[in-house]
Amino acid sequence: MGTSRKAITLTVGAVGLAAALTAAALMAPPHRGQAAAAFTPSEPGRVLARVPIRDRAELAAREALATDPAQLEIAVGLAHADIARARAASDPRYLGQAQAALAPWWHQAAPPSDVLLLRATIRQSLHEFPAALADLAQLLAQQPRNVHARLTLAVVATVVGDYALAQQACDGLQGLVGELVLATCRGPLEAMTGHSESAKARIVAALASAREPNAAIAAWANSTLAEIAVMRGDRAEAELVLRAMLRADANDSYALALLADVLLASNRAADAVALLRDHDDVDNLLVRHAIAAHRANAPHALELREQMQTRLAAAAERQDRIHAREEAMYVLAVEGDAARAVTIALENWQVQKELADARLLLACGQAAGDRAAIAVVTEWVTAHGIVDETLTAAIGGVK
Amino acid sequence: MSVRAWVKQLGVAVALATLLTLPRLAAAHSPSTGRVTLEVDSRDGRELRGSVQLAIRDLDTALWLDRDQNGDVTWAELQSAEPAVRNYVAQRLQLGESSRCSVTWQALRVATLNDGNYATLPLLLHCALAPTELTVRYRLLFDIDAQHRGLVQWNTQTAIVRSPELIALSAGQSSSVPSFIREGVWHIWIGYDHILFLLCLILPAVYQRRTARWQPADSLGDATREVFEIVTAFTLAHSITLVISAIGLVSMPTRYVETAIALSVVAAAANNLWRAVDARWAVAFVLGLLHGFGFSSVLLATGLPAQHAVGPLLGFNIGVELGQAAIVVATLPLLFLIRRTLVYQVLLRGGSALVAVLALFWAYQRWCL
Repeated sequence: MGTSRKAITLTVGAVGLAAALTAAALMAPPHRGQAAAAFTPSEPGRVLARVPIRDRAELAAREALATDPAQLEIAVGLAHADIARARAASDPRYLGQAQAALAPWWHQAAPPSDVLLLRATIRQSLHEFPAALADLAQLLAQQPRNVHARLTLAVVATVVGDYALAQQACDGLQGLVGELVLATCRGPLEAMTGHSESAKARIVAALASAREPNAAIAAWANSTLAEIAVMRGDRAEAELVLRAMLRADANDSYALALLADVLLASNRAADAVALLRDHDDVDNLLVRHAIAAHRANAPHALELREQMQTRLAAAAERQDRIHAREEAMYVLAVEGDAARAVTIALENWQVQKELADARLLLACGQAAGDRAAIAVVTEWVTAHGIVDETLTAAIGGVK
Repeated sequence: MSVRAWVKQLGVAVALATLLTLPRLAAAHSPSTGRVTLEVDSRDGRELRGSVQLAIRDLDTALWLDRDQNGDVTWAELQSAEPAVRNYVAQRLQLGESSRCSVTWQALRVATLNDGNYATLPLLLHCALAPTELTVRYRLLFDIDAQHRGLVQWNTQTAIVRSPELIALSAGQSSSVPSFIREGVWHIWIGYDHILFLLCLILPAVYQRRTARWQPADSLGDATREVFEIVTAFTLAHSITLVISAIGLVSMPTRYVETAIALSVVAAAANNLWRAVDARWAVAFVLGLLHGFGFSSVLLATGLPAQHAVGPLLGFNIGVELGQAAIVVATLPLLFLIRRTLVYQVLLRGGSALVAVLALFWAYQRWCL
């Protein structure tokens, strides 16, 4: 009697709990935007924001544009400055400002050539790759010897997976640029298709013979070397190159992201946590930090996870879709939701097709056991004759 | 340096930087976002309150806040630019034109969002007509940042503004009864003070006073009857105050109501420790009156249309009851099961003490902060 009553009570309790939780889940209205509590700072000297230091000339330029926006030379100058700032701080906010400076020409079908190059650059960073390619094609039709346009074309064509176009863009640089730029432009394309030894040798030789190469070009060449080392599966060498780059510029977010990936791939999550400690303002470093902390069971893992969710929610609120790569990485590695990760990775694959995107899609597809997603990558590998240690190892594991 | 010379110098210096920007721009801080939040603040729907929030970084670009050019915007710098900020916002943001609304701006404040500090301009909106559709003409910041987005939120609706334009948000969904039921359930579920109040009353229900001593209840039925009385009394009480304040018969300042609700939790918890009042249904009734006032302020904030108040009122109340019932169903059988154990005693005394302290802190917070 006592036992059966106990059983009934337990059942009622369990059913009740389940019903209550279900009801709560069903009834919860969509989350409202969080209105953070506003406050009045007590100290006048409290610093509320860090902003770029603007010199008199820049202020004058902004003022001049505010009165009459259609001053091409000033607008192009400001857009250049904003893009340089965006790069230095890895902050896309300045790209929107560059675009605003170019507003009078932004929607023109055939704007001045300076605007075409800047527009392509900004569109590329907004992941509007086809529009960027169209701008570059238009510009190169007018100025076939425009080095910036060719380099940008090589980069964008590689991102969308049009390797013939990228190769053509690099070839067109012959005679216009030095050996280092040429070798670095061609390097990834050669290495991807199995010629990593010669690609690496050319860049190394060009680096050695270049007299005082421009710091930015040297950084580009070195990060390319690191990427080639990763393709060959030589993570130790990649780490060596990237650590040297970070000694020259500790805030190089591109090098930081590459090195974090190398460390994560080598199961060195704790090292990755140490590397990324102070870079959470950059989205693609935050996501790696969150993954590393999660894997290393770091005490701040949960906090980073929440930060990442907030960041993704903010992007979703704006209906921005340029974070698909980071989102898929995060959903796979931290939330462990392979099915959702594979959906996002496929969506990302529609837009960008870099090696990193292929590795990500494959990892998501394998975790979810999604044969169709895996096939997308294996077919791409076969079609382009891609040689990449990470992909080869993973695909080998499937067979 | 002249503008022209600056541009020339930049041209050379930046050419290479731009070039190498190209392969390396995938990273992202947050892009520029502005927020306009509005909610109904009066029963007739003609008074709204809300705020406009703009990133201080953006305002620096538009209005040059960092006057000492040291790369830091301080509170003093922001404050001295307050008239300029207000003027900028007032010129570029028109709210509720079609309802003939006028804006009263309040003192500038600061809010910390996930991507930094925002200048917050609280505002009151007085409208000649209660807006059933709120028009917003939003032209902030697009001229300095083409990727700027305005997020305009009215009640449960949010619109994204992508370029200078006029948008209209409808009051639509908030007048349907089911949505008010959901609001009611949701309010109970996230209203930790209501939940704790209820739990404090339910906790001792698995014991019953016989002659002079408290004894574990014999059957779940007895305990259920006791809880039923408590919940009914609570429901009756808060329904009364909810109705009279929602239809405008009585109105109580939020600060008093919220503080009193916190104190009611203290009282309910204290009663578990000292057993001052045996008839907990009476406690539930008297203190429940306070909670009704709290519910009504939530209901008003969701934009209750005065002319059709009955449906929403009923819906919201039903939602509150459903939410309550779910809590009871989930907890009572478990309490009944453990009523003879040490765990229960710890829960009753320790839990009640903890709740009392916590609620006392809320009362302090709600009154003083």
